[in-house]
Amino acid sequence: MGDSTGEPGSSMHGVTGREQTFAFSVASPIVPTDKTAKFDLPVDSEHKATVFKLFSFAKPHMRTFHLSWISFSTCFVSTFAAAPLVPIIRENLNLTKQDIGNAGVASVSGSIFSRLVMGAVCDLLGPRYGCAFLVMLSAPTVFSMSFVHDAGGFITVRFMIGFCLATFVSCQYWMSTMFNSQIIGLVNGTAAGWGNMGGGITQLLMPIVYEIIRRCGATAFTAWRIAFFVPGWLHIIMGVLVLNLGQDLPDGNRSALEKKGEVAKDKFGKIMWYAVTNYRTWIFVLLYGYSMGVELSTDNVIAEYFFDRFHLKLHTAGIIAACFGMANFFARPAGGYASDLAARYFGMRGRLWALWIIQTLGGLFCVWLGRANTLVTAVVAMILFSLGAQAACGATFAIVPFVSRRALGIISGLTGAGGNFGSGLTQLIFFSTSRFTTEQGITWMGVMIVACTLPVTLIHFPQWGSMFLPPSKDPVKGTEEHYYASEWNEQEKEKNMHQGSLRFAENAKSEGGRRVRSGATPPGNTPNNV
Amino acid sequence: MAIHKILFASLLICLLIQSSHAATKERLFSDLEKSALEDTATPSRVGEGVGVDKLSITWKVSSTATKEPEFKAIKVKLCYAPASQVDRPWRKTENELFKDKSCPHKISSWSYDPAMKAGQSFDYTLERDIPTGTYFVRAYAVDTKDHEVAFGQSTNEDKTTNIFSVQAISGRHKSLDIASVCFSVFSVVALLVFFVNEKRKAKIEQSK
Repeated sequence: MGDSTGEPGSSMHGVTGREQTFAFSVASPIVPTDKTAKFDLPVDSEHKATVFKLFSFAKPHMRTFHLSWISFSTCFVSTFAAAPLVPIIRENLNLTKQDIGNAGVASVSGSIFSRLVMGAVCDLLGPRYGCAFLVMLSAPTVFSMSFVHDAGGFITVRFMIGFCLATFVSCQYWMSTMFNSQIIGLVNGTAAGWGNMGGGITQLLMPIVYEIIRRCGATAFTAWRIAFFVPGWLHIIMGVLVLNLGQDLPDGNRSALEKKGEVAKDKFGKIMWYAVTNYRTWIFVLLYGYSMGVELSTDNVIAEYFFDRFHLKLHTAGIIAACFGMANFFARPAGGYASDLAARYFGMRGRLWALWIIQTLGGLFCVWLGRANTLVTAVVAMILFSLGAQAACGATFAIVPFVSRRALGIISGLTGAGGNFGSGLTQLIFFSTSRFTTEQGITWMGVMIVACTLPVTLIHFPQWGSMFLPPSKDPVKGTEEHYYASEWNEQEKEKNMHQGSLRFAENAKSEGGRRVRSGATPPGNTPNNV
Repeated sequence: MAIHKILFASLLICLLIQSSHAATKERLFSDLEKSALEDTATPSRVGEGVGVDKLSITWKVSSTATKEPEFKAIKVKLCYAPASQVDRPWRKTENELFKDKSCPHKISSWSYDPAMKAGQSFDYTLERDIPTGTYFVRAYAVDTKDHEVAFGQSTNEDKTTNIFSVQAISGRHKSLDIASVCFSVFSVVALLVFFVNEKRKAKIEQSK
């Protein structure tokens, strides 16, 4: 998947969390190392790193990685900072259950739009400025929590803070300018997973900060407002670090316009058409809404749930809630790895089964969580639920790159937006009304996960089959080339615009499973040089 | 596989713990002796928007109390009136005493001896973390095992009379607001300064 920068879809490459656990370096002879470049890491001809050294801060590549995932994580911290403090905030602002639920919906809705805008901003200003602008301009929204005095204000501020989740886009885009596309999978998957961890860190951080401020003498209703200064300062600090230590490209901060001699090679309208008319896109939008979506919803309700149901102290509830989000550290990459493992033996059919099994199990554990009556069972159920949901996120993006070659960027973006949308919808139905208690809401959310995962059975690739149907035996229609080339019309094929898709199709043959494996490296995979 | 054994073992342990919890019988509010204590609660400085600062509370043992010999301590609590419980399931009234969340705010407690039958009268200054709402006062009498045996409240059984309302402090402070504005402005200005600076440096470099 070697694309030059600027091509639509290239910014979303590597959003997958798959096959990365082995892909620490590119040893393939296809990617020649540029030996004249003086970087800490070996680089290719574009000076993108071909090796991923996790514990290094060497500039510019690994430094970019760390700046990027930490700023993304900071945005998760501030977006979900209110959640563990709700037991205090609801008394201060006299909130009803509906208000709390609506605020939760608002916190995830803003980024549906901001993520779309961020793509354009990264194209115009570059990912470094995109990230810094968003992080520093959303700091005021975090600080404005100190002004809130009623439900309306609370909902508005949570909505505005939620915009900063668009750092996901700048994070992934920035990685793709710094890392070779053969290892971008690992890099982006790790960055996304560690960024999502922020939702867990905040459940730990905010109650502790609140407790410290209270012990210093502030009243409860003032202490939580002061506590919000901490995420606000993190925004400013990360923004300054990104501006000072970050750089747009491996070679420096040359204006992206200089390098970008070419406008996007493809037409946005066409790509949009192919994304929207592929039914698989919409199934994944739904699916991600019930893996990532429920993860976001649970980030919002779980601390309050443990506080109320099991009569825990605020910071105890926070610790338990933190375990949910922190599992992202390994659960998301593990899901991608499980998908790769299944693909090795059963091809794409294995990936689909893996996704269905993992996500359904997550849903069943969610039902168990809602029905758990004791603290210990609830914690166990919650942890298993978190593993299921987060691994399902990883497994989803292990399949998405195969849905379309031409429209990968938009499909990935739509899938991501589906996650936020699913979260908003779930919170609206189950956690914003007095109709369901929170435990009933969680139970029904689990049922909905299981139900909304069933459409995976409908995903059928003519060349690889589906969960229950074998691949098509048609000699023309049952080939990878036919599937990926069908996204281009005759005139485009005459101009040879579909060459990239054909190359991809060749590499994708490994998704046929073990018996079909021709020895060609799967796309984005490195040869296993363990 | 090892992981299966671990999962199965943890499931067993959880079930065991759950079953041991179910052994204790739930103590119910409806089992308590009603009106064993007579309470009054009078707010001082009542006024619109001004709020209540102090409550003058009195409690005494009613002449009709039958469980009086069991009393070991009297606990006085601030409870939510029904209007403040609407749409707020974390304040719900439940019959099982350990689940009941309608009286979360402790006012004071007194060790009881029979000489105190005539009761006590005291002033209570409202804590600053009491939320906005309507309240009444309830006194529980507990026995040696710290189990409630009787109660009395300052309102009637339907909780409609003698309800007083509290306006919470906002928790906002001018200094906090000013600090918030300062940091916000700093963030935006720092960004703009940096951006302009870099653009200027790039222009100088280009013109060289």
